[in-house]
Amino acid sequence: MAYILTAVVPGLGHLVQGWYGRAAAFLTALAVHGGILWLAVDKGRLGWVAEGRVDARYLPGYWVSTWILMGIFALIWCFSFRDLYRLNHRQEGMGQSYWQIVWRRFRQDPKGLLGAGIVMLMLYLALFAPFFAQADPIKMNFQAIRQPPSLEHPLGTDNFGRSILDRAIYGSRTALGIGVVATLLNMLLGGVLGLLGGFYRGSADAVIMRFLEILNSIPFFLFALLAMSIFGSNVPVMMIVLGIFGLQPARIIRSEVLSVREEDYVMAARALGVGTWRLIFRHVLPNAIASLVVTTTMRVGVNIIVIAGLSFLGLGIKPPTPDWGSMLRDAQEYFRVAWWMAVFPGLFIVITVFGFNILGDSLRDVMDPRLK
Amino acid sequence: MTAYIIRRFLQMFIVVFGLSVIIFLMLRLTPGDPAVIMAGLGATPETVQAIREKLGLDRPWYEQYWRLTSGLFNGQLQAMTYHVGVWEIIFERLPATLELGVLALIIALVISIPAGLLSAIYRNSPVDYSVTTVALLGISTPVFWTALILMLVFGVILRVLPVSGRGPTIGMWSFVTWDGLRHMIIPALALSSVLMAMNARLTRASMLEVMRQEYIKTARAKGIWEGMVIVKHAFRNAMAPVITNIGIQINTLFAGAVLTETTTAWPGMGRLMVEAINRRDMAVVLGLALFLATVAQLLYLAVDLMYVWIDPRITYD
Repeated sequence: MAYILTAVVPGLGHLVQGWYGRAAAFLTALAVHGGILWLAVDKGRLGWVAEGRVDARYLPGYWVSTWILMGIFALIWCFSFRDLYRLNHRQEGMGQSYWQIVWRRFRQDPKGLLGAGIVMLMLYLALFAPFFAQADPIKMNFQAIRQPPSLEHPLGTDNFGRSILDRAIYGSRTALGIGVVATLLNMLLGGVLGLLGGFYRGSADAVIMRFLEILNSIPFFLFALLAMSIFGSNVPVMMIVLGIFGLQPARIIRSEVLSVREEDYVMAARALGVGTWRLIFRHVLPNAIASLVVTTTMRVGVNIIVIAGLSFLGLGIKPPTPDWGSMLRDAQEYFRVAWWMAVFPGLFIVITVFGFNILGDSLRDVMDPRLK
Repeated sequence: MTAYIIRRFLQMFIVVFGLSVIIFLMLRLTPGDPAVIMAGLGATPETVQAIREKLGLDRPWYEQYWRLTSGLFNGQLQAMTYHVGVWEIIFERLPATLELGVLALIIALVISIPAGLLSAIYRNSPVDYSVTTVALLGISTPVFWTALILMLVFGVILRVLPVSGRGPTIGMWSFVTWDGLRHMIIPALALSSVLMAMNARLTRASMLEVMRQEYIKTARAKGIWEGMVIVKHAFRNAMAPVITNIGIQINTLFAGAVLTETTTAWPGMGRLMVEAINRRDMAVVLGLALFLATVAQLLYLAVDLMYVWIDPRITYD
């Protein structure tokens, strides 16, 4: 019975069985995504609705967001089934796993919840930008140049008559997209270097550490400026430049590996004849996961600020692509007459980076109390 | 110790040399010909060719590299697009950045260290929460936006401070004149905001770490007045990582200087860097980059040597 209800509306199955908290969570998730769906339909931007009714160049963007939304709906249904099944087949007296403990602690930390909320909000703005935006963020409108905030344009318009709010919403795509990919590159490259250095020690470690020291000793921003001006200001170049020059995670991972590899259980695994790679992935990495997750989260914030800085100098995202940094660059000329051009894009940057930073801070507290 | 310093200097030389090669090769790959930019719009191909020959841009790359680096070493190298020597233009801009950076650092330390200290002493109190929140906001805010907002508030709305540019100078320094000092306030505040946040967090963390140590317990057990314990036993030891970190913050300071100087039209080295890159002036870019890298290396060495002085347990032999 409960499963049939869940198939109709996720959360109802939980409701009839008395799991009110979880029911509320699933129903809220459903309501929020339903709202996004309604927005998309209302504006005629959902893939099927838009087909044949809008300019063909907008369609791919609409379809991507549409499919992501459909995917999230599918996930909500799957999770509600899985959760219900788990609750019904739970054995008494079972201990809690590490992630369950982390989740319980995390839920009680207002700081972390605020951070997660901000990050989720920005992520959704980026994923569903076409559904949230009112108008085309690139098309100029010379009837509405530099208008102050009003009901029609909540955050005002820029020097080409485009709505600041729409451009800021689309700007979250470049900031988060490049920021996240660059951070993943940082973690991948830095992680490999740190793992190798910490695990093998000796000469490999010495070479890697010297290399990192040299990389650290050159002013990073200078190199980023040079690289951007040389290889051209496009998105892949930006990801790679930021990815290569932010290898600081290597140090953290290395020190973590150094301390973990001395633990008795690693030695025991080794004595049992466990191979090196298995040792790294099964024993060393899971124990370093706390600092890995925390560094990744904080790193996204740093990268977003650097991206904005490069765009601000005119070496990052090129206009007319909406980007927070280049919006502020435009604002520089007009801030005396149009304060909204300078204030709002910056607020988007600050709020996003702040979200990532408090999320990281909170994760450090809940995942590894030693580090507090 | 002497052997260590010599080794570090050798290492520094290798780093700077490697950097010069990398930057030179990067610049050679840059699209955009400095000769074309210098010749201006509507120049004939002959003029462009003449300028190219004058700058030695028609030579093979190793000759160009030699010309640039040897010219930098003996100080004779001319800027490609500025009509003055490379070192002349760098040293003309140096005081502006130096006074800005030092003022920013002073503001940052004067505010951040007491704030971090209070935050650690009154841990989990409203004071602590506000300090940590403000510091977290500080590291989340791009300096150029801080500069824009300060310009908006103090320059446009309140009209109490000049919005941009550098005031009158006496002997290349502007902090000696009243109007010059007024011009410095906005860029210095913006530049210090990030340093302030970083140092407050660092002071707090370091102080908490020290307060956990056994000797603090011992000092308290001896019945020493709490204020004395904090100042003499905890604070002095907690300052070591903070002081040594200031040297490492030069990277942050430089990136911040590029951005604040561009925003507030402050004629320093950061703005020169952006200008030179946009004008494809290889000579100035290379000179600036090597100068900055050398300064950074010297600072790191100074920091490492300071460790020995601060913490006698560390030796480099």
